[in-house]
Amino acid sequence: MTTGLLFSKTCARHGLSIFDYMEYPSLIRGGHNTYQVHASTDPVTSQKKSLDVLVALNQNALNFHVDELTDKSLILYDKEDDNIDINKFNLSGKTFDLPMVRLAKESGGSRVMANNVALGASIFFLKLDLKILDQVIADIFASKGDKIIDANHKAALAGYNFAKQKSKSHLTISKGLLKNQLTLTGNEAISLGAIAGGLQFYVAYPMTPSSSILHYLAAVSSKSGFVVKHAEDEVGAVNMALGASFAGTRTMIGTSGGGFAYMTEALGLAGVAELPLVIVEVMRPGPALGMPTWTAQGDLQFVLTASQDEFPRFVLAPGDGQEAFDLTFKALELAEKYQTLVILISDKYLSESRHTIELKKYTFKNKRFGFTNSPKADATNFFPRYLPTNTGISQRSIPGQKGGIHIANSYEHDQYGVGIEEAEVRVEQMDKRNKKFESMKSEIPNQLYTTQNNSKLTFISFGSTKGPIASARKQLTQQGISTNMLHLSWLWPFPTKQVESILTSSPKTLIIEGNSYGQLANLITQETGIKLNNHLRRYDGRPFYSEDITDHVNKIL
Amino acid sequence: MNNKKPITYPKNPTWCPGCGNYGIWGAIKQAAIKSQIPTEKIVITYDVGCSGNMADYNNFYGFHALHGRAIPPATGIKLANHDLTPIVIIGDGGCYGEGGTHFINEMRGNHDITVLVHNNHRYSLTTGQMSPTTKKGTKTKSTPQGSIEEAFNPMAIAVSNHATFIAREFAGDIPSLANRIAQAMTHPGFAVIDILQPCVVFNPEQSYDWYRQNMVKLEDEKHDSTNKEAAWKQAMRTDKLPIGLFYQDKNSVPYHSQVAEIKDKPLVDKPIESVDISKLVKNFQ
Repeated sequence: MTTGLLFSKTCARHGLSIFDYMEYPSLIRGGHNTYQVHASTDPVTSQKKSLDVLVALNQNALNFHVDELTDKSLILYDKEDDNIDINKFNLSGKTFDLPMVRLAKESGGSRVMANNVALGASIFFLKLDLKILDQVIADIFASKGDKIIDANHKAALAGYNFAKQKSKSHLTISKGLLKNQLTLTGNEAISLGAIAGGLQFYVAYPMTPSSSILHYLAAVSSKSGFVVKHAEDEVGAVNMALGASFAGTRTMIGTSGGGFAYMTEALGLAGVAELPLVIVEVMRPGPALGMPTWTAQGDLQFVLTASQDEFPRFVLAPGDGQEAFDLTFKALELAEKYQTLVILISDKYLSESRHTIELKKYTFKNKRFGFTNSPKADATNFFPRYLPTNTGISQRSIPGQKGGIHIANSYEHDQYGVGIEEAEVRVEQMDKRNKKFESMKSEIPNQLYTTQNNSKLTFISFGSTKGPIASARKQLTQQGISTNMLHLSWLWPFPTKQVESILTSSPKTLIIEGNSYGQLANLITQETGIKLNNHLRRYDGRPFYSEDITDHVNKIL
Repeated sequence: MNNKKPITYPKNPTWCPGCGNYGIWGAIKQAAIKSQIPTEKIVITYDVGCSGNMADYNNFYGFHALHGRAIPPATGIKLANHDLTPIVIIGDGGCYGEGGTHFINEMRGNHDITVLVHNNHRYSLTTGQMSPTTKKGTKTKSTPQGSIEEAFNPMAIAVSNHATFIAREFAGDIPSLANRIAQAMTHPGFAVIDILQPCVVFNPEQSYDWYRQNMVKLEDEKHDSTNKEAAWKQAMRTDKLPIGLFYQDKNSVPYHSQVAEIKDKPLVDKPIESVDISKLVKNFQ
């Protein structure tokens, strides 16, 4: 995994846009692991099916990836380490026997350094700059000391020199023009966005594929001065978070579908007690434990309504690394502004893949919302924390403030938070909370809608399918097929007006989503009354490939 | 039917006449005064049940939690603002049953909160089923042939699992209970008081008199509350119900004091109006 990161960063520091994608089984070690890096001078938004270079660390890698090779591919393999008879494999493209393990050992390293030998050789074959790889190695292993850095350098150099002596370079990747770009995973982008958005408290219980948010935030919390807590379980996590939110901190929690299911009772508590809370739900295939290390968009329907009864919430679905940063930043603000729940859904594909993004600034301003500096209790000795207002949003006091005493109540309550069962107070408070939903609708920005002249088809999608569709549209343009794309990253409140107006003027649509029921299609019908006919669905745990989308479009046009 | 709004704030209790909760309620209010902690800095999280209904009868900052979940919000409140003093009002069902994992694990963290367990050995708000502390063999609505489970031993769990302030008191002795609660509130760490609470309606056998006949005061036994092994022995007793301070770690260091990020000031006071992430992005360049 580190090897892939080294290569991605090396490409990014050549000014290239990158996208990388990992596949691994739910095992601690072993199984078939892959790491694909896609780099280009043009923006890249997804992985590719056909490979330019395949580094096969064993026979399996040749067996499993035979379909991804073309006559332009280069295959690096280690004949002597895994007794490979290359002629047995009927491979397209050019093969090169690279004694990775032997070179690793000869350069003074252990067997794992074979990865670096392959890296060094790849750098030669792609005419990239070895000095940049060396610098990336030095940066990544800075905390491990000079000895480790040196060993990595030597192995890479051995691979580079071996390839140089025996072969010509394979293809030339020109340097790109991108500068100041960041290479990070979706989960890292979510974490950074949260920090920029004033995150003060993050609490979670580990669950793949959300755990790397917990890991990253825990690693940098002391630098940034926020608190990270690994709770005893997801129920503890969400209820701790709500306590902290009640006490005034900007709070976020993260989990996957199973953990989210544990948390559902507390979602209603965030709603009824009007406590700001951001939940990141990184989807994987279900039901129940499903397939932990694979991807899916099957929890959309679940997160839209998960709770007892009704309360207003936001559901946001970033589609790439940039949106992962931007929308998490926004999520913390929205939660505080509307004193309610914001659910941010991602998935394994978005969260664990690496993207290049650019931030225009590194200092972020956060406005605070709803706090009162001098709460005044009325004759009851309570503060009317839940006073009905025109917008439905009331002023908050926090514990520690004199004159602000109230109750955050999981039961229905009056304006002080005191439990009630009177019909008219119940309706007053329900209406108050529902009013917030009307103001929340005004927050929805225009959703991404890109068009081409004489377009034959409009793609419709949400979340992480954005990248593969964008790649497919490029391929289709080259084939002379024009398309439009409507991509939703704000799913609730639903951007009804815009979707309705686009769909009524789109003769042919294709909706693409990672579940078997067509949950986005159903949501669109529910909100607009419009039924969509063409769909492409995938629920085998694998992400969409642009090539498959292109083929499908050719079939239906 | 449309009920009328309450006329007074806080509301008047709806507990049954003779309920042990009245005594505990009085003791909490006395303890709040004795502790000399400003009222607005005391935050009470309430579980669900007869005891949790106290939320509406008090005039403190309150958080009426979900069932079994009153401990995690108290922990969250303390981490968010360690200038506050969280108290948890919870029953034996919520603390030892539904929320047992929070009790066991947040105890280990030595979070600086005071957990008051209203232990009446029954689920009373749901009209008298067995609870985790019901004695084996007891016939209740949900166990008409007698309960099969052994009773939960909260004192032994607390002694063996790193709680730093462990006591048992009696709802019928308000002055002692008030003193103990005030002591627990000022103890820096996880304090648990198992409060023996008569339920005159659904558990009439364990009446006020029954408790008085079966209790023994630890101070009369010359118990050393700094000695964990002695506390363990008292916790494992079956002849009598020991009352008083089982164990206190005088060198207790609470969780929040071990969190570097909030050494200087409470988390809620950390300014976020302007956040600079330039140091963090270096790792991604």
